[in-house]
Amino acid sequence: MELDVAAGNLPARRKRVFTSLPRVGRQRAASGKTWAVLGLVAGFVLWAHLGSHLPVFRSHVSFERGWKEFRTAYSVTDFGEDGHFVRAAQNGYNVFFLTWKYAGRFTRKTAADRINACAGCHTPVDMAYAFVNSDRFDPKLGRRVSFEERVMRCFAGPMDGFVPTLYDPTVRDLRILARAVAHHLQLS
Amino acid sequence: MATRLVPAVPAKFLKIALVVSVMGGLYCLALYKHAQRETQRQAAVELTSACAAKLQDYALRAGELYRSPYVLKTTGTSSATRGYSEEDVRAIQRGCNIVADMQGQQARAGAQERWNSTRFSRSTHASCAHCHQNAGDKQDAAGNRLVGSNGLAASWVMADMYDRFTGLLLPYELRQMQCYINSSNGFKPNAADDLIRDVTAYSRFLSAALELKIGNRYPEQGMDEIPVSATLRRGDDYVRGAHVYHEKCARCHGPQAFGTVVQGRVLYPALAGPDSFSLDSRMNFARVNTVMPGFICRNMPLGEEGSLDNQECRDVAYYLSTLPRPAGDKQGPLVALWQRAMMTVMPPLIRYAESLGSQETSLASR
Repeated sequence: MELDVAAGNLPARRKRVFTSLPRVGRQRAASGKTWAVLGLVAGFVLWAHLGSHLPVFRSHVSFERGWKEFRTAYSVTDFGEDGHFVRAAQNGYNVFFLTWKYAGRFTRKTAADRINACAGCHTPVDMAYAFVNSDRFDPKLGRRVSFEERVMRCFAGPMDGFVPTLYDPTVRDLRILARAVAHHLQLS
Repeated sequence: MATRLVPAVPAKFLKIALVVSVMGGLYCLALYKHAQRETQRQAAVELTSACAAKLQDYALRAGELYRSPYVLKTTGTSSATRGYSEEDVRAIQRGCNIVADMQGQQARAGAQERWNSTRFSRSTHASCAHCHQNAGDKQDAAGNRLVGSNGLAASWVMADMYDRFTGLLLPYELRQMQCYINSSNGFKPNAADDLIRDVTAYSRFLSAALELKIGNRYPEQGMDEIPVSATLRRGDDYVRGAHVYHEKCARCHGPQAFGTVVQGRVLYPALAGPDSFSLDSRMNFARVNTVMPGFICRNMPLGEEGSLDNQECRDVAYYLSTLPRPAGDKQGPLVALWQRAMMTVMPPLIRYAESLGSQETSLASR
């Protein structure tokens, strides 16, 4: 049976849709919506690039208590007084000791929790040894596991949170902190 | 209405079934590929001759503890470190094979034995060992690691440092990806791909075998770069460079630097043309004018290393940068087209011009 578009043969709901707008009007409305969405997207992109003034790269790292002593104790200054590496290590320090604050995106732990940071279970020296012993076959998992994957698993498991990507500065800076400590301990 | 619904239901069902079967097919394909990779991980590794020698020298075998014969030989003492499992050993062996023979030209199953590395390289010549010689661990006869020899172990212990070319704290895996993109004129493998991870495992093993310490700078790391200030400042000259090239380099790399391939095996890699590194590579003198001269001076000509002076190395590198080669990612389609046209048009023209020159010479000699 062919579809009879005569208004009298359509169900009530369809009849309303078919008859509420003329065909050209409907097309114009749809086209207007498309342009509005495109305009919004273009406006957002322009704002994000030109008007937002949000920094894409932040070289500033918050100065937390204990960093000065840590830097001296673990010879982070071997890599210079300041610089990209040192700042990344400093951010790694912040994430390591104050995970709930500096990696809050990846954990449900808060300041009120007893264990709310990497430092709750590990020491920086543990991290350094884990780093130099990473990329080895794990018989439990049946495959090789990298240091980054261990960090990611920690966020998903003990930190009761979410998995950061491999490229996230949180993961990178923890690795760099481990590297700095491994250098201090002269591990190979 | 009833007669209209009857064909509509199977059509809808068919659509859903089609989508489900396509998704299911893709899932099964993924499972198959994963199983294939797992089989390859478990399979015994057939080493290239370079890797067999190197890994035997370093006494790589599965065990609870690892003691480096190299360290014992050079320092007289050797401390035991954590050993390697069977799986780790195979990963290290595969990594060494990738470094020594990325294209799989020495492998029975070809590039398949190298995790299909040719997927990531447009160049049919590219191999890690062309820049990271002796499987990434170049030593002299006495076992001394050579300055500026681009050692992989030294690179591993100094990974994650600030890289002035990219402006990044460059992880080791990302550096390897850059090699695939620029030096192999190809594409970026995933950071978690076995291709990348096996090379990392091999580099880490080398650093353990040589007992290099994390974060220490060793002279074999990277190229021993040659800036203008290391010359007599006569100015870089590609005409002088062309002369030196034809005298010292052309016998291996060919008169137009297209490399030498014998029976499908690359003996000497291309330094120009479609099989060479791209314009974005750090080896391109026009992009970074200190790296290629450093490489030439420390590693070339093969067997006569150190015979060229700094200015000659810079001149040769300058000359090579004037030859046509593939465009990199940064150049855009127009430059890519231009480079492609040059790579097609220039070689026959140069051959013709050189044949004219040789005819004139033979006539003059008569």
